[in-house]
Amino acid sequence: MVNSNTSALGIIFPNSYDSLVPELVSERLMASIPFAGRYRMVDFLLSSMVNSGIDNISIIVRKNYHSLMDHLGSGREWDLTRKNGGLSIFPPYSEKNVKVYSGRVEAVASILDFLETQKEKYVILSDTHTAVNFDFRKMLEEHISSGADVSVAYKREEIPEGFKKIEVGRSDLYYTLSIDNGRVNRIFINAPEPGPQNFSMNIYIMDRKFLMEQVKGAYARGYVYFERDILAPRLEKLHVHAYEFTGYTARISDMKSYFDENMKLLDDENLDGLFSPSPVYTKIRDDNPTRYINGATAKNVMVADGCVIEGDIENCVLFRGVKVGKGAKVKNCVLMQDTVIEDGAEVEYLITDKNVTITAGKTMKGADTHPVYVAKYQVV
Amino acid sequence: MAKEMIAMLLAGGQGSRLYALTQKLAKPAVPFGGKYRIIDFPLSNCVNSGIDTVGILTQYQPLVLNEYIGNGQPWDLDRLYGGVHVLPPYQQASGSDWYKGTANAIYQNISFIERYNPQYVIILSGDQICKQDYSDFLRFHKEKGAEFSVAVMEVPWEEASRFGLMVADENDKITEFQEKPKNPKSNLASMGIYIFNWDILKKYLIEDEADPNSENDFGNNIIPNLLRDGRNMYAYHFSGYWKDVGTISSLWEANMEVLDPEHSGIDLFDDEWKIYSRNSGMPGHKISPEAIVENSMITDGCRISGSVKHSILFAGVRVEPGAEVEDAVVMGGSVIKAGAVVKHCIVAENVVIGENAVVGAMPADGEKAVATIGPGVYVGSNAKIGPNAMVNNNVKDGDVQW
Repeated sequence: MVNSNTSALGIIFPNSYDSLVPELVSERLMASIPFAGRYRMVDFLLSSMVNSGIDNISIIVRKNYHSLMDHLGSGREWDLTRKNGGLSIFPPYSEKNVKVYSGRVEAVASILDFLETQKEKYVILSDTHTAVNFDFRKMLEEHISSGADVSVAYKREEIPEGFKKIEVGRSDLYYTLSIDNGRVNRIFINAPEPGPQNFSMNIYIMDRKFLMEQVKGAYARGYVYFERDILAPRLEKLHVHAYEFTGYTARISDMKSYFDENMKLLDDENLDGLFSPSPVYTKIRDDNPTRYINGATAKNVMVADGCVIEGDIENCVLFRGVKVGKGAKVKNCVLMQDTVIEDGAEVEYLITDKNVTITAGKTMKGADTHPVYVAKYQVV
Repeated sequence: MAKEMIAMLLAGGQGSRLYALTQKLAKPAVPFGGKYRIIDFPLSNCVNSGIDTVGILTQYQPLVLNEYIGNGQPWDLDRLYGGVHVLPPYQQASGSDWYKGTANAIYQNISFIERYNPQYVIILSGDQICKQDYSDFLRFHKEKGAEFSVAVMEVPWEEASRFGLMVADENDKITEFQEKPKNPKSNLASMGIYIFNWDILKKYLIEDEADPNSENDFGNNIIPNLLRDGRNMYAYHFSGYWKDVGTISSLWEANMEVLDPEHSGIDLFDDEWKIYSRNSGMPGHKISPEAIVENSMITDGCRISGSVKHSILFAGVRVEPGAEVEDAVVMGGSVIKAGAVVKHCIVAENVVIGENAVVGAMPADGEKAVATIGPGVYVGSNAKIGPNAMVNNNVKDGDVQW
């Protein structure tokens, strides 16, 4: 085999941390949240995998996955329409009643038959709440040379505010690692320590057969969580290698962080961090280029294609097909696809979901600390 | 299964009047309107009209065009039966030949057309900016019971002698054809878009090929022969936007017209008739706090820190602080360095305009010159490129070219 392919398959959990942003996922899931002007969260992970030579990717969906299916289609835009491998979407399995998984153990258990027949030696598991340009080849090389059973990627950073609010006993867990000489010796669950931590990115690499054995055993015992129930109690027996990621990450942990992470991309350094070294693919909409009509002004903005700007925009991220009317003033806003700000409207610190219309002359203002969110298809 | 109508797109033209822009690519591959190439227009028209089989006849510098077309997926022309096919000249048992003329190009691909057993064949040209519903053209052709129809545009009488003209009666039946006549009898200019009944086209192609004196050209040979034989020939009136972008100034003008769809240009903002293209895949464009953007069209991947007025910027263009861009068409990947002034000109793909260099100038009254910088050219710092210049090679720092 020519060395362009990586002997690893990807498994993506698109619903992880849905509960942190209930408004944004009311009709979608974490993976299909629009981000960075023309992308959805899942694009970053899929593109990173594809650019790392991984062309067999499974997405185990839990609920609200219509928007994700619509976005991914056959996977062509990510070059994932392959004869061997390609993109597989696993919806919940319906026997007597629809069975919805709650943790990774159950999720992976539901595709064991599929995993059995795959040819790749390794598997990579990941969530989608972090937008990142990740080189999986590098992590896999380090995993192999470390001789570990499992590798987990982490980043040195403070625990995001949104995570700190997760109460003990809730279904969404986050993990911080204690590391000794590259080996994880303790996993802390929902531990809101101050200052920079070894914060797990929930990206794992391990042998496919190893994963299957672990999941089979754990599932039989009624375990739910991979980290809490399989890794954490057995760190002495299992060699868990910690892989430090030092690149740019944009993590969604609540509405505020969603706003901030979009805004941060107005800084070229951050934008380049997220979009290099490898390109990020997404669904093509065939929009025309964006048009700035006489009288429009634009300062410090990132704008996708298909927009028509007649008013003033400043410090904004505009997704595809946004219209800003004459005399409208738009400041410090994240406007998702096909939002319409009509003539003379004034908005500030606003997050509009898809197809929102702010009618002519209206004024709507949020605050720096609390941007106002307007749900899909609302007319204000 | 037979196809009702398939399209044959003539894309072999060298486009020699576009000079610097067509040194390394065929004219249909020339970028247009911020994120398109010229060929996107006929291809999108085909798909939007329900034509799912297109043969593209290439000959001159086909590399860029071939790669751009690929399997036709961006235009939804990746089909099991039909789809888009690039058709270069090829070697046959009887010998091989370049395409000698437009008619010969089709003649050499008779066997391609026969695979689809079509009733009608539409002949398209790959160098026009136009949104046209070919299904309406076909409806006209069928209603008239025509064997041949040509799409025509009314042009001002004083300009009529520059065109191939169709003289037609009150039922649109063509009675005469005049190629660039001194004394025009009609102001109906041929757009070079024809619908033929396939059996008729095939018969005349074979006949034309057998004539050693023929130039194997639709306008000069096939159409006159059809007239000679009194075939049912009709002129289909088209009244939308149509522009032959065969020259630097017409290409520049057509781009500028895109900025004013309400009055002059082609409307690229029409959801009912989308123009498809191969996507750059770059993130949204960025306009920095110190930038000025007025009345312009900007697409993905651009980063603007200078001033951009009444211009069209293609994917990934960078305009550095203090640079000025006005009345300009700047194609993909080009960089306008700090303090450079770029006016009334076309800058091709992947050009670098050095710091404080000056390219082109706003024209004085009556002047029409458009400075042109060819693809990949490096224009050094403080260089000066005059409004009539056509630059194909790198320009050293501080050099002056007129």
